Amino acid sequence: MRTISRQPLFNIPMLLKVVGMLLMIESAFFLLPIGAGLYYHEEDTLITGITAAGTFLVGLWMARRIRTTHNRLSKRDGFLLTSSVWVAFSLFGMLPFIFSPTTPCNVSDAFFEAMSGFTTTGASTLGSRPGMSNCLLLWRAVMQWIGGLGIILFTLAVIPMLNTRGGMQMFNAEMTGITHDKIRPRVSQTAKSLWGVYMGLTVLLALLLWAGPMDFFDALCTAFGTLSTGGYTSGISGMLAMEHTYVKLVMIVFMFIGGVNFALIFRFITGQPRQLLRNDVLRIYVIFTGIMWACFAVARVAAEGYHGLVELLVDPLFQVVAISTSTGISLLPLAGWGGFTLMLTVMMMFFGGCAGSTSGGAKIDRMVYLFKNMRNELYRCIYPNAVLPVQVGGRVASPQLVGKVIAFLCIYVMVIIVGACVLTVMGVPVTDAIFSCFSCISNTGFGTEITGLGGSYDMLPGAAKWVLSLIMLTGRLEIFSVLVLLLPSFWSRG
Amino acid sequence: MKIVIAGAGEVGSHLAKLLSNEEQDITLVDSDATKLGVLDANFNLMTITGDPTSFAALREAKVDRCDLFIAVTPYETANIVACSIAKNLGAQLTVARIDSYDYMKPENFRHVKQMGVDKVIYPEYLAAQEIITALEYSWMRSRYELHEGQIILAGIVLPEGAPIAGMQLKEFASTNHSFHVSAIRRNHETIIPGGGDRLLAGDVLFFTTTREHVDDLMALTGQEDRKIRRVMIMGGGKLAMRLTNLAEGRFKFKILENDIDECHKLSRRCPTDVEIINGDARDVETLLDSGITEMDAFVTLTPSSESNILTCLTARELVDAKTVAEVENIQFIDQAEALNINLVINKKLLASSAIFQLLLDADSSTSKCLALADAEVAEMEVRKGSKITHAPVKDLRLSRDMTLGGLIRDGKGMLIGGNTQILPGDHVLVFCLTGALRQVERLFN
Repeated sequence: MRTISRQPLFNIPMLLKVVGMLLMIESAFFLLPIGAGLYYHEEDTLITGITAAGTFLVGLWMARRIRTTHNRLSKRDGFLLTSSVWVAFSLFGMLPFIFSPTTPCNVSDAFFEAMSGFTTTGASTLGSRPGMSNCLLLWRAVMQWIGGLGIILFTLAVIPMLNTRGGMQMFNAEMTGITHDKIRPRVSQTAKSLWGVYMGLTVLLALLLWAGPMDFFDALCTAFGTLSTGGYTSGISGMLAMEHTYVKLVMIVFMFIGGVNFALIFRFITGQPRQLLRNDVLRIYVIFTGIMWACFAVARVAAEGYHGLVELLVDPLFQVVAISTSTGISLLPLAGWGGFTLMLTVMMMFFGGCAGSTSGGAKIDRMVYLFKNMRNELYRCIYPNAVLPVQVGGRVASPQLVGKVIAFLCIYVMVIIVGACVLTVMGVPVTDAIFSCFSCISNTGFGTEITGLGGSYDMLPGAAKWVLSLIMLTGRLEIFSVLVLLLPSFWSRG
Repeated sequence: MKIVIAGAGEVGSHLAKLLSNEEQDITLVDSDATKLGVLDANFNLMTITGDPTSFAALREAKVDRCDLFIAVTPYETANIVACSIAKNLGAQLTVARIDSYDYMKPENFRHVKQMGVDKVIYPEYLAAQEIITALEYSWMRSRYELHEGQIILAGIVLPEGAPIAGMQLKEFASTNHSFHVSAIRRNHETIIPGGGDRLLAGDVLFFTTTREHVDDLMALTGQEDRKIRRVMIMGGGKLAMRLTNLAEGRFKFKILENDIDECHKLSRRCPTDVEIINGDARDVETLLDSGITEMDAFVTLTPSSESNILTCLTARELVDAKTVAEVENIQFIDQAEALNINLVINKKLLASSAIFQLLLDADSSTSKCLALADAEVAEMEVRKGSKITHAPVKDLRLSRDMTLGGLIRDGKGMLIGGNTQILPGDHVLVFCLTGALRQVERLFN
C-alpha cells in the first residue's frame, strides 16, 4: 500500500523504453526494402538506409539510456503504450516517403501513407503518382504485413520481457475481437503460434504467385498486401499481373483466409480440423460471402451484359472478398455496376471479416451478437417475460458482453459521423466525407473515386489526412483502446 | 512446466498468478466464467470454462500433456474426482486439496493414491503444524525450514541488552561460523547486511543456520526459552480441531467459541483434556473470566481477520503472551505483522507454498521459494561453469544487494564462509533485495 500511493499514474520511463525496443525491431524490417533498393540500384535506398539506422539508434538510445525505477506496466500504461507504439511506428515509417529523392511528398501525405499501411487500410495518397521506386513499394507492403497481425503481437513473440501483466494489457488492446482467444497458456507462445501461421501462409502465397505470371518482387509485395488484407499494390506491373485469372483465384483464397480467425487456422493446422466446421461465425462468413457473390454477379450482368464465365464468376467474387475482408483492392470501376452494389459494398465494409483475423470492419462476430440480440428484443415485444440468452458458438454470452458489443457498434457509427462532420468543416463534400471516414475506420481503404462521386485521397486537405489517420488507428485497435485515451479520468486519478 | 489448475477460488487464483509470474504455463479451469474473465484479461494464463470434474473440460485443458494437475475447488470430493480423471487422462503428477484428515492418514492414503491422487494438500493441517512449530520455538519470531530442514531460517527480534546488540556484524561473525545473518528488518525496511552494519535492539534478524546450531542463537540474541504450556484459542473451527488433535497433549488448550452447537461438536472431536468455553472472546470480561492472564499463548482462528487481529491486540494488553492470528485477507498480513502479532497464519499462502515446494522438488529451475516483505530468498542450483564457481566466495566481489545464506551439497545443509568454494550441483540460498534477482540469476547461469 505504501508504495502504490506514491507511484505516478504512468510509468513513463518504462513506456519510452519499450517503445525504444520496438523501434529497434522496426528498423530490422527496413532491411527488406533496403535489399530491394540495392538489387534494383535505386536512389531511395540511401534514405531508407539512413532511416533504418536512425530508427535503430533512437530505439537503442531509448532502450539503453532511459532509467526505469520499476518495470511494472498498469492497465493505463498498456493502453497508452499500444497507441503510442502504433503512432511511433508510423512516424518513423513515414520518413523514407518524405525524403525520397524520386517521389518526395509532404508530412501529412507521408504520415497518412504510413498509418494507412500499418493499419492495413491501404488507402493511398501517393499511389496515383507513377514512378514510386521498388524500394518504397516494398516498404509499403512490409508495413501492412507487420500491421496485419499486429505490431504488439509480433513483439510479444520476440521480446520475452513483455510477457507480463503489462504485455497482457497490450495484447488485449491490440487483438481484434470481442473476447480474445488464447491458444496456448502463455501470451508469448500464443503470439509465436499466430505469427508462425501468418508467416507460413505468407510464404506459401508468395510462392504460388511467383509460380504464376508475377515476378518475384511483385509476388512478394502482393503476398504481404493480400494476407494482411491491406491492399497496397506493387505498382503498375503488379496491377497488370492481377488481370490474370490465376492470380485472381489465388488472391481470393488468401484474402479470404486473411478474414478468418487465425486461432482457428492454427487449430486446423495442429490437428483439430473439426473446430473449423463447428464454428458458427465462420459458417456465417462463408454464407454471407456466397450471397454477396450472387448479388454482385447478377448486378454485373444486369449492368454490363454477359461477357463470359470468368467475368461472371471470378470478378464479382474477387470484388466481394476484397471488400468484406477490408483488403480494398478494386480492379473494376464498381460505380458502373449500379447503386445496389455500392450499398452492398458499404454494408460489407461495415461487417468486415471474422474477429482475430487481419481484416477490418466491425467484424462478423459482433454482427452475430447484434442480430441474435435484435431477434430477442423483437420476440420480447410479444412475450415480455421470456428469458432469452444470446447464444453464440454453443456458449451463452453474458448481458454485459452483449452490451459491450452493442456499445461498440454505436460508437463505431458515432466515430464515422463525428469524423465526417470534422471533414466537412475542412471543405470536403458530404458524401466524400462520410465515405472516406467509413472506409478508414473499417480499414478498407477505398477512395471515393470508387463510388464515382469524388476524387481519391490526395485531393483532401492536409488536416483531413491527419484526422483520417487517427480514424484508421481507432478502427484498427477496435475503438476502445484509442477512445479510452480521450477519457479525462484516464489521465487523472480522480 | 505445464500446469493445469482446477478451481479458480482464492487458492486457485493466487497460485495461478504466482506461478504465471514464475514463467510457468498455466491453464485454469473453473465453471464460473465471470471469475475467469477477470483473470484471463489481466494475467498471463489461459482459462477454460467448464466443470473441473468433466472429461470434456479437462480434455480441452490438455491435462493429458500436463506435468502437474492441481485440484483446489472448494469440495474435496470434486478435487479427488478431478485428480482421478486427470491422472487417467495422462497427467504426470496430481495434487488435490482436501478438507479432512481422513484421506491423509497413511493407511487411507494408499487407497486415495490408487484413485489417482499423488499428493494431498490439507491447508488446516499445514496451518496447525505451523502454529505448533511457532509455539514450540516460542523464542523465535518466525522459523522456516528450507530443503527438508537442512537449513533453518530463523527470524528473531533482538531485545535490549542482548549480547550482540550494538555490535557490528564483522565483530562477532568472524569468530563464529555456525550461523549467518542474512537479512535485517528494521522499521518496515529490509536490509541485506554487510560486515559493517551494526545490529540494533528492536531489529528482526533473519539467521540461516543448520539444525544443530539453532540453540546457539538463543544465547547470542539474549532470548530465553519460554516453555509454552497453556494456550487459549478463540474460534472453534476446523483448524482449532486439527490443532488440538495434532498437538497430542504438548499444550493445554482452552477454546472460546460463540456458538453452542459448535461447542458441542468440538467436545466430541477434540481430545478430552481440551477445555471448551461458550463465550465471545471479543469481550474483555469473558477473556478475564476464562483466565487469559494465566495463558502463555493466545491464538485467534475465527473467519474474521479483523476480529482476529484486534482480539490479539486486546489480549496482549491483558497478558504477556505469544499471539497468533489467522488472517485470510492477504493485504492485512503486513499490517498484522507491523502490529507485532507474533505469527500470522494464512491458509491460502500455506497451501500455495506447499504446492510451490512440490514444484521445487519436481523442477530445480524454479527458484524462488519465499518472500520476506521486500527481500527475496531464492534457492539456486549451480550450473557447471557459472560465474559463482570461479573463485572462493570472498574473491567473487558480490553485489551489496545480495548475500549467500547457505548451501546444500549432496542433500546436507552447510553454511558459507569466505573461503567456501561453490561447486556445480550445489543448491545455494541467496537473499537479495527485490529487483536484484536478475543480477543473481546472471551469477548462476
